[in-house]
Amino acid sequence: MRRLPVYLLIDVSGSMSGEPIKSVNDGLQLLVSALRKEPQALETAYLSLITFSDVVKQVAPLTELASFKIPTLTASGGTSLGGVLSEVSSVAKKEINKGSADEKGDWKPLVFLMTDGVPTDNVENGLRAFKDSKWGMVIACAAGPEADTKLLQRITENVVLLDTCDSDSIKAFFRWVSSSVSVSSKKVESGAQLDNNELPPPPPELSLLKF
Amino acid sequence: MSLVSIKAKDGDNVEFVMKDPKRGGVKDVYFSPDRSYVVAFFRKPLDNNGKERLDKLVTTYRQGIFGKQGAEYWKNLFCWPEKIVEYNNMTGIVVPVYHPNFFFPPNTNLEGAEKEGKWFTSAKNFNRFVPESEKGTLLSYLRICINLSRAVRRLHAAGLAHSDLSYKNCLVDPATGDACIIDIDGLVVPGLFAPDVLGTPDFMAPEVVATMKLDFKDPNRKFPCRATDQHALAILIYQYLFHRHPLRGSKVHSQDTEIQEALEMGEKALFIENSQDTSNRYKIQKNDKDFLPWVDTNKLPYTIMGPYLKELFNKAFIDGLHSPNQRPSADDWEEALIKTADLIQPCLDTKCPKKWYVFDNSTKPACPYCGTKLKGQLPVFDFYSSRDGVNFRPDSHRLMIYHNQYLYPWHVMRNVFPNEKLSEYEKKPVAYFAFHQKQWILINQTLDSLFDATNNKPISKGSYVALTNGLQLQLSKDPNGRLVNVSLVQA
Repeated sequence: MRRLPVYLLIDVSGSMSGEPIKSVNDGLQLLVSALRKEPQALETAYLSLITFSDVVKQVAPLTELASFKIPTLTASGGTSLGGVLSEVSSVAKKEINKGSADEKGDWKPLVFLMTDGVPTDNVENGLRAFKDSKWGMVIACAAGPEADTKLLQRITENVVLLDTCDSDSIKAFFRWVSSSVSVSSKKVESGAQLDNNELPPPPPELSLLKF
Repeated sequence: MSLVSIKAKDGDNVEFVMKDPKRGGVKDVYFSPDRSYVVAFFRKPLDNNGKERLDKLVTTYRQGIFGKQGAEYWKNLFCWPEKIVEYNNMTGIVVPVYHPNFFFPPNTNLEGAEKEGKWFTSAKNFNRFVPESEKGTLLSYLRICINLSRAVRRLHAAGLAHSDLSYKNCLVDPATGDACIIDIDGLVVPGLFAPDVLGTPDFMAPEVVATMKLDFKDPNRKFPCRATDQHALAILIYQYLFHRHPLRGSKVHSQDTEIQEALEMGEKALFIENSQDTSNRYKIQKNDKDFLPWVDTNKLPYTIMGPYLKELFNKAFIDGLHSPNQRPSADDWEEALIKTADLIQPCLDTKCPKKWYVFDNSTKPACPYCGTKLKGQLPVFDFYSSRDGVNFRPDSHRLMIYHNQYLYPWHVMRNVFPNEKLSEYEKKPVAYFAFHQKQWILINQTLDSLFDATNNKPISKGSYVALTNGLQLQLSKDPNGRLVNVSLVQA
């Protein structure tokens, strides 16, 4: 059966320490427990968590939702955004079944990226590797006013803004992520999209950046 | 707590707690203080056409279904919008809350989650996550399918189409066999109100998927209508009975998942169990253990559901898959499902995952789900009816007998059908079967003119007749009364 891979890329740089990282930890709990009550997600979703600060680390490899163990994250150091884009591209290459002429592969992975600041590494190589890979829906979340939204818009057209990095907003983001993973009715006007790439409406705490 | 009190369009008072809405696809849902109804506001303002549709929905169409006899019956099958409200420039509808048995009960791993169909149509969810107490039996899934067919039949009879039937929009309770259609606000009325959704992946008809790239005004573009409801209903029934999707096989059309999806659900849609073209059969993969045995079409082919459903699945997924006008109607499904429910036998193994199975018409019947063989004598009733009281012709309707099985008025009379029109009297059994002192007997409870035509003697109320091979019983002397021929299968 086809799997739906979901990559969560989380900024754990020093600026996230304190309330933000605590909220991210709470948000991850919320996300996983919400998804575990979603039949669509329980059937198909596989989660992986990659953190980035000075170093990039795949904290959890692609794991079936039901057996995914939620790690506790701590924050310190810089923001290796370029590094995490390279890393997710290379682990996805290894973890995802691309299928063949006689076997169906996995669904295109969903990517949720959350960052609160400006990258401290060179992003160009990572961005290129990321753009060369095939993704389903990619959502970047600019958590708080310091995040580099211009750069995020080069990664994906789906950029959401959290005005503040407080726990309500971060939890709202994760709740929204959970609803993006399940199926919904297709609107008449919404063209030829059949993949899982139609975004549900964001909650009031989030605003979708239009450009 | 921010309680809002407003007047609905019909003048009634409506209250809701403006806090933590449940966010659906297009609506935000708030509960009334006593939680007996919800108020669901459309996030985007509705155009006049949309408002008029809602108006009609809560007045004309609602009265058409609920204003007549049987209103109570339909209340269980539809969660129908009752009122319209306007608040802060938003339009909302007042809808009754779901019945409590459509939520997983306390102290289970899914406590509080809605029993949407996907829990039960997915083999993995069914195997691993649905609590044992909520899994139901084959009989309860047949009931669910009968309820859904009946609800869709009623909508279609009223000239409406649902347009977005899916496991999301049907709540089911396999523990009881109940089912309820929700999210009715998108109803399509041919010529009056066009659909605003195309449907849900897995359920969209092939012609809708195949033409969705065409321009909105292109005459070849196909939209949801009654025929696409018929496709979605067939998919739902197949999924509830087999825990797998009838079109998601192993055929690869493209390695691009989006193109693959568009082709396998659209232009190139092919039944995984098509016996002529086997190219889309599902090949079991390494990571499929959570989906077994349900996805194994060799072990559990669709034909295990017996002749009536086999014929309809063929019509729905072979003849009618790309020919919408050949698809079975909701009425056809209802009738075939009811007749199939008369073919089931209890499995002798109490641990059997389905508890019941459809008799396979063989002399060595065995349960397809657990392999347990049936032992002993198995009585079979074949029904005949007559137009002139002299010549009886087969009805293509069979009843398999088991201990404590009942005979009902719709078995006795050819003009009585088990549906919402049954009177209280007609819902009561008229006779029952028992295995008593090493023989099968039929005990007459309320039949006025049960007659043993083989031995030429009446069987009065309270007395019984032993069932023997070749025995003919006239169930009623009424011109619409049926005759049965009894066979005894030795297994």
